[in-house]
Amino acid sequence: MPLTGSRDRTSSFLDQRVLDVSARRRETLRNLAFLSPWLLGTGLFFLYPLASTAYFSFTHYNGFGTATWDGLDNWRFVFADYPFFWPALRNTLWLVVVMVTLRVVAGLAIGMLVIRIKRGAGLLRTLFYAPFLAPPVAGTLAFVFLLNPGTGPVNTILGRLGLGEPGWFNDPAWSKPALTLLALWGVGDLMVIFMAALLDVPKEQYEAAELDGAGSVSRFRFVTLPHLRPILGFAVITGVIATMQYYTQPLIAGQVASGQIGGSGQQVEPGYPAKSTLTLPQLVYNLGFQRFDIGAACVIALVLFALSMAFAAALMRRDSVFLGGDG
Amino acid sequence: MTPRVRASLEWVAVHAFAVAATLFFVLPFVFVALTALMTDQQSLSRDLWPNPFQWHNLVDVWQTPGFGTWWRNTLVYAAAGTVLTVVSSVPVAYALAHFRFRGRRLAMMMVIATMMLPPQVVIIPMYLVWAKQLHLSGTLWPLIIPLAFGDAYSIFLLRQFLVTVPREYLDAAKVDGAGELQVLLRVVLPMIKPAIAAVALFQFFYCWNDYFGPQIYTSENPGAWTLSYGLGTFKSAHHTNWNLTMAATLLVMAPVIALFFMAQRAFIEGVTLTGVKG
Amino acid sequence: MTRTPRRRLLAAIAVLSLPLAVGACTGDSGGGKTDNPDADVTITFWHGWSADSEVAAIQATIDAFEKDNPNIHVKVVGGITDDKINQALRAGGPQAPDVVSSFTTDNVGQFCSSGAFADLSSFMADSGVDPAATFPSAQLSYTQYDGNQCALPLLSDAYGLYYNKDAFAAAGIDGPPKTMSEFDADAVKLTKTSGDSYSQLGFMPTYHGYESSISHLAAQWSPTYFTADGKSNVAADPMFAQAMEWQKGLVDKLGGYAKLEKYRNTFGDEWGAKNPFMTGQVAMAIDGEWRAGMIQADAPDLDFGVAPFPVPDDQADTYGKGYITGTIVGIASTSQKQNAAWRFVKYLTTDTDAVVNFANAIHNVPSTIDALASPDVSQDEAMQTFIAIASNPASNTTPASPNGGAYQLTLQDVGYAYESGKDSDLKAALTKAAEQIDTDIAQAQ
Repeated sequence: MPLTGSRDRTSSFLDQRVLDVSARRRETLRNLAFLSPWLLGTGLFFLYPLASTAYFSFTHYNGFGTATWDGLDNWRFVFADYPFFWPALRNTLWLVVVMVTLRVVAGLAIGMLVIRIKRGAGLLRTLFYAPFLAPPVAGTLAFVFLLNPGTGPVNTILGRLGLGEPGWFNDPAWSKPALTLLALWGVGDLMVIFMAALLDVPKEQYEAAELDGAGSVSRFRFVTLPHLRPILGFAVITGVIATMQYYTQPLIAGQVASGQIGGSGQQVEPGYPAKSTLTLPQLVYNLGFQRFDIGAACVIALVLFALSMAFAAALMRRDSVFLGGDG
Repeated sequence: MTPRVRASLEWVAVHAFAVAATLFFVLPFVFVALTALMTDQQSLSRDLWPNPFQWHNLVDVWQTPGFGTWWRNTLVYAAAGTVLTVVSSVPVAYALAHFRFRGRRLAMMMVIATMMLPPQVVIIPMYLVWAKQLHLSGTLWPLIIPLAFGDAYSIFLLRQFLVTVPREYLDAAKVDGAGELQVLLRVVLPMIKPAIAAVALFQFFYCWNDYFGPQIYTSENPGAWTLSYGLGTFKSAHHTNWNLTMAATLLVMAPVIALFFMAQRAFIEGVTLTGVKG
Repeated sequence: MTRTPRRRLLAAIAVLSLPLAVGACTGDSGGGKTDNPDADVTITFWHGWSADSEVAAIQATIDAFEKDNPNIHVKVVGGITDDKINQALRAGGPQAPDVVSSFTTDNVGQFCSSGAFADLSSFMADSGVDPAATFPSAQLSYTQYDGNQCALPLLSDAYGLYYNKDAFAAAGIDGPPKTMSEFDADAVKLTKTSGDSYSQLGFMPTYHGYESSISHLAAQWSPTYFTADGKSNVAADPMFAQAMEWQKGLVDKLGGYAKLEKYRNTFGDEWGAKNPFMTGQVAMAIDGEWRAGMIQADAPDLDFGVAPFPVPDDQADTYGKGYITGTIVGIASTSQKQNAAWRFVKYLTTDTDAVVNFANAIHNVPSTIDALASPDVSQDEAMQTFIAIASNPASNTTPASPNGGAYQLTLQDVGYAYESGKDSDLKAALTKAAEQIDTDIAQAQ
């Protein structure tokens, strides 16, 4: 990477030398001017609060008065004594393994499907993409209703077909699968990305493979997949990062399905049913804005930060394109 | 198996899958709409078809006290947020794409890191500042003001698009004596219109759908609630059953879906940009 | 890449963020009782009522107050939950409320111990209100914590048994059950299955069955939640295990957890016109006194009766008691207008006419000794039953704790795991819960 600003490289080095000093200063000012919104924003809304979160994690603070130094007490509490922490982490792991995988597989399958359809592909693409845009609160409410064990249309139909009727959002064993269905409903973003990537695969390679007598399975295996590898990686890692931030859907699903939606005077149990929909971001809200145990909430926030940054680093390492394009 | 039999079997399989997928993606909307038109009694039963169709459910929800306010607040948040995001992100993205300076790589890494950052990580100090220092909780300001300082995701997307703008165009404009700002406004902006449209749409949707931000900053003042937050409290606050809840859900979903149908191309291009160029 | 510029960048950012960091360390601007209550002033009052009739009733009370105190204007914000109260009290500032009321007593411990609510003792002393002579002792106890009277009762709630008289007649049951074994037998008799569901259920015992939470049901056993030194008593006091075993027994007798939960999901909203007791889906329910008013408004044809909730067989002599709680009201310690706020609180909580009229309007139990004895209190049979429950010396409540209702959630978790059959070792679960409650309270302090 060049160390100084861009210059007309054909000019003579000596002629430019005097000009350089002031030109470089001007350039630095220009750079700062263009970057200023982001520099300020990063300081005010990222670095400062991050440092502050780290500080609070070592204090006892309930939002009144001032914070008092507490050493590692909050860290010990969260890791050893906070009964929601490990279930939330386990749920996150479940969602990473099952939900992210299924979303990637479904996105690819639906993308391949739409590409193979000759007539009406445009309409299908539109229909399949639309749910992705449904506001999360609305989509979640819709699914809690659709999957309501007592009166929901899904169980009504399953019942009429004589099939089993799961408890969905009311059964700890089915609540995460229900959330996964909701996530699959909104798989349109991945579908579109995969469609673009699939269309990029050179036709000649398929033809060559066919000439070699490769069936559709081995054509997929040896031609399509290698081309999709970078996109698959991108989809998995962004999926994992989105799972780290998974908040609105499990929160609303738990509240609405439990029948206790935070009416005044009601104790809202996070993660209904039986902590099965808890995620780390919900713990930040529970500790920070319901119990006002700001120190412990900041510990969770830092754990969340560490996990997210680890995955972000993985993304940047494997996808140098992300940073590159230096031309 | 002859190739013809195989081909037609494949055709059947593909189209069966297509039908199943269509049902999966479309039926939820259908059931939501049907339930939105049921009576109280029916929405608590296993009926699938409204009888009678109770159209005034939609009117009732629309006239629920607060619904209009939520609409207005959401529009303010989404519109102001979108404009501020675009205006503040374009110059940053341009600098990251075309200026050479020390620390550029670090800056790019910081942009990506911020992009990946769950909002919950920094929410507590941010809330304390907005609420306790500035006394702005219960308003939309804590949601809108930060967007005037560049949004990492938008910067990233715009920058990915901007690096594809050939240098020769920019240099040619500079030879004509234009400053960087003029180059950006006169030459670059017209070229990156699709990317700006995509970023604006994404930001608009982000604000429209945002639940966490309004929950933290506006929950204490119903006059500042947005549609997403209001909808989240709708069932409990108004003691409604599924019919009216689904009617409200439908009314919150409808505008975004409608916007999508109108601006489909920009969307699909934008999503493709995030994946393929990334 | 060289080192220096990066360091310079970081330094610049550090400088930029310094003012904020310093700002964050400055303390709150506290309120105080220095204002002149006779000056023209507007105070902000937050409450949780959201139903139209309730909002109208509290507004009528406020109008009456403003008529008596023309210099004090009350700005009202309704539909507020405890989470929001908690946030706003911390935020302070001009938008923050001066007077706050909450439907739950759970957070009184937090409001008092954190200093969020101002101590009202000196206000009461200054205006000659003797708390012991004004308020019933139970109501007085749930509005204070550790001797700090930071809130006052604003009407109370008592829980009892609602029963459907038509269903009772059809099942050949004479009157309301008085003991748990009678209750179980009646619940079974009143239950009619239909396919894999019910056409009528005797009673919805699961803890999510609206008001059938563990704290409401366990009150019939008169449990002790905390020892004298503030440690959790849920494992040591056998009453908790007995209550949970009774509930689990009833769940099994009525068809099992899965079937009941599925039926629960066909219920309408608890606070709406399709409440399952009002639609006849359940024949008996545990509920508060307000339900009678809602039935009169939304299901006037329902022939129902009310009685104290049954008691365990070995405590049959304590029949008549129930769970009591109430709405509480306090003054934010950040308020700059505490003297004016006190005039309003004093009127709301101690003016006999105000208390009686408001109680009648929203079908709640009055919360002062004078108001309870007032001839103007609704003489309605149902209301009188609840007033008797509220006045019963064996009636009890869930005590205040420094971390709000967290201990009730922990106890509920034990109940959920036990009722669903996920965890069958109740004793071990309660022991673990007691430890958890102690740890949580230690963490909160």
